[in-house]
Amino acid sequence: MEKERFLSVDCKSPDMNSGAVADQVPRPFLDLGWEQPVHHDAQFESAISSLVSSPSSNPSAGNGSVVVRALIGRFGSICDSGEISQTSCYSTPLDSPPKLTLPVLGHQQQGGGGLPMPGTMADGQFTPFAANPGFTERAARSSCFGAWSYGGLGDQSGLPVARNLSRVPSSHLLKSAGALQMGVPDNGKDASKSNPERMEMEMRSKLGGGMPPSSTSGRTMVGGSANNVSKRKAASKGRGKESPLSSSNLYSPTAAEDEHPDAKICKSAKTNGADKDSVVKQETEQNIGASQKKGKENNAKPPEPPKDYIHVRARRGQATDSHSLAERVRREKISKRMKFLQDLVPGCNKITGKAMMLDEIINYVQSLQRQVEFLSMKLATINPQVDFDLETLLQENMHQEHEPLPQQVYPLEGTSTAFSYAQQPQGSPLQSAITNGLGVSQQPLCPTDGLADATSQLGNFWESDLRYVVQLGFGQSQGAEFFSQSLHAD
Amino acid sequence: MISPSSSSASSSRKKKMKRAETKWRTAAQERIYRRRLLEALRATASRAGPRAVKEAADSALALTARGQSQWSRAILLGRCRPRRKLLLKAGGKVRRGRRRPRPAAPVPVAAAAPAGKKVRDRLRVLGRLVPGCRQLSAPSLLEEAADYVAALEMQVKAMRALADALSAASLNAAAAGEAESRVV
Repeated sequence: MEKERFLSVDCKSPDMNSGAVADQVPRPFLDLGWEQPVHHDAQFESAISSLVSSPSSNPSAGNGSVVVRALIGRFGSICDSGEISQTSCYSTPLDSPPKLTLPVLGHQQQGGGGLPMPGTMADGQFTPFAANPGFTERAARSSCFGAWSYGGLGDQSGLPVARNLSRVPSSHLLKSAGALQMGVPDNGKDASKSNPERMEMEMRSKLGGGMPPSSTSGRTMVGGSANNVSKRKAASKGRGKESPLSSSNLYSPTAAEDEHPDAKICKSAKTNGADKDSVVKQETEQNIGASQKKGKENNAKPPEPPKDYIHVRARRGQATDSHSLAERVRREKISKRMKFLQDLVPGCNKITGKAMMLDEIINYVQSLQRQVEFLSMKLATINPQVDFDLETLLQENMHQEHEPLPQQVYPLEGTSTAFSYAQQPQGSPLQSAITNGLGVSQQPLCPTDGLADATSQLGNFWESDLRYVVQLGFGQSQGAEFFSQSLHAD
Repeated sequence: MISPSSSSASSSRKKKMKRAETKWRTAAQERIYRRRLLEALRATASRAGPRAVKEAADSALALTARGQSQWSRAILLGRCRPRRKLLLKAGGKVRRGRRRPRPAAPVPVAAAAPAGKKVRDRLRVLGRLVPGCRQLSAPSLLEEAADYVAALEMQVKAMRALADALSAASLNAAAAGEAESRVV
């Protein structure tokens, strides 16, 4: 969708400016972006190719320029058709379409401003793209995007952004928030540092538990255990923005002298971001898990739920009681398990959304069960044919990795004679048995197939056949006659 | 995803993941299962049909699970006394005959957190698929499903190996039989 295009462009343009190396980062976005109708781009590519300046000659950069062209094309299409994508919030940025395109083109003509371009594009497009849950997930995966978009966005559209973000399901927000939180410290060197504060405030106020778990956990991780404890206590008190002062006081060692509860947390994030970008960047889930673990280690069970709750921020205007917080914790658990299942089931990496993933999981379980049924049928058909001694041998084979032992032949021969007896009419069963016995006897002589090794086995065969012959009830005399004849014939 | 959940540093989560995921993937587990499977197959009368084989295989699988998971307990106890004991929950009623679908009262409440009717329906379907996990809450259901999926994978692998080995053996037998008749 256009949102993905915008996203990719957001990543792309600064990358193009910064260097070709970074092109690889947004490539997944490109791939994702290209899922959607690509045919639209072709029309605009040729028209706008002149406008786009591709600084590097890399193929990836060329890709980026194509994407940029596609994005411009998208702009054009949007402006022309007045097409409104999935969300209604598009209407506001579309109020002045020419304004949007012109600055973009202008920027591109200038060679692509780094931040301004994504800024102008982002503020128009951020609202719709944010509402796409899958997109936010992908956003979460690339920290650069988060940094760029927020860097450009934080100044302009505050409330609308937050408002739209609130529509996104919390699970996605969690990831996106975490990524954004991580992405922000990465670029914390620039003016975007001020933006994350605002962004965080808005996000936290609107989203509630989405970002804060990761952000607070990240902060607590970096701050240190003592600070963590104080921060947790402070955060619990500060829930609902009731006592910012106390929290800020507690927080002063690590943060600046800011008294605003939100800004305080943002400050801590900033300091954390400045100090340990990589740590925060690493894994937000790790932080969550680690902080939770720390919580468990530090305190006994009663404080443990509060520790989980502390990472959860109540939404603005929502009840801050334990119910919603417990709900959030529960949702985190569920999302955790879903992620684990995603790893387990092959081919679930690309699928986003709980419902579709559950679909995949159900299909996989059903297919596995069907396979088991099919294999059990197969085993059932094979079972009567083979003696169970064979199975033990096979088991030994499987375990010890030996090739089938020659002893295998013994029961096989017995079964083969049984078969021959069963198949042929009663007229010459004895003869067939004897011929089989003869055949068996001859086999050891001609070493064509390494079935039988020792003469002892041959003797066994003879014994079995003889016994078999006797059992046929032809009388010992006849059996003996035949046997002698066969011996003579041999 | 930025970090695979299995590589998380959290000990508690890692323990759980390790328990569920790697428990079934070890060769030792597979060996144990194979042995049990063979015993079970030998015990079943070959003429009982494929269904008995499947049940034997499932019971062997549940046995290998040592009853640590909900579904394994359900399988083992379901076989033991058919439909006599539904002790999945404390104070479960004894039901005879056809199992009627229980009212899904606990399920929506538990699974309501993710929201969305689709998700709830799918969770219910998943609960029906995994044996003995109908009235489970969403997180535990997902955990059971993960364990069950891993166990099924192992079962399929072991059964396929066994079937291939047996069929190879029977092929040998057939070849040997043919060779005999030809030679004679």
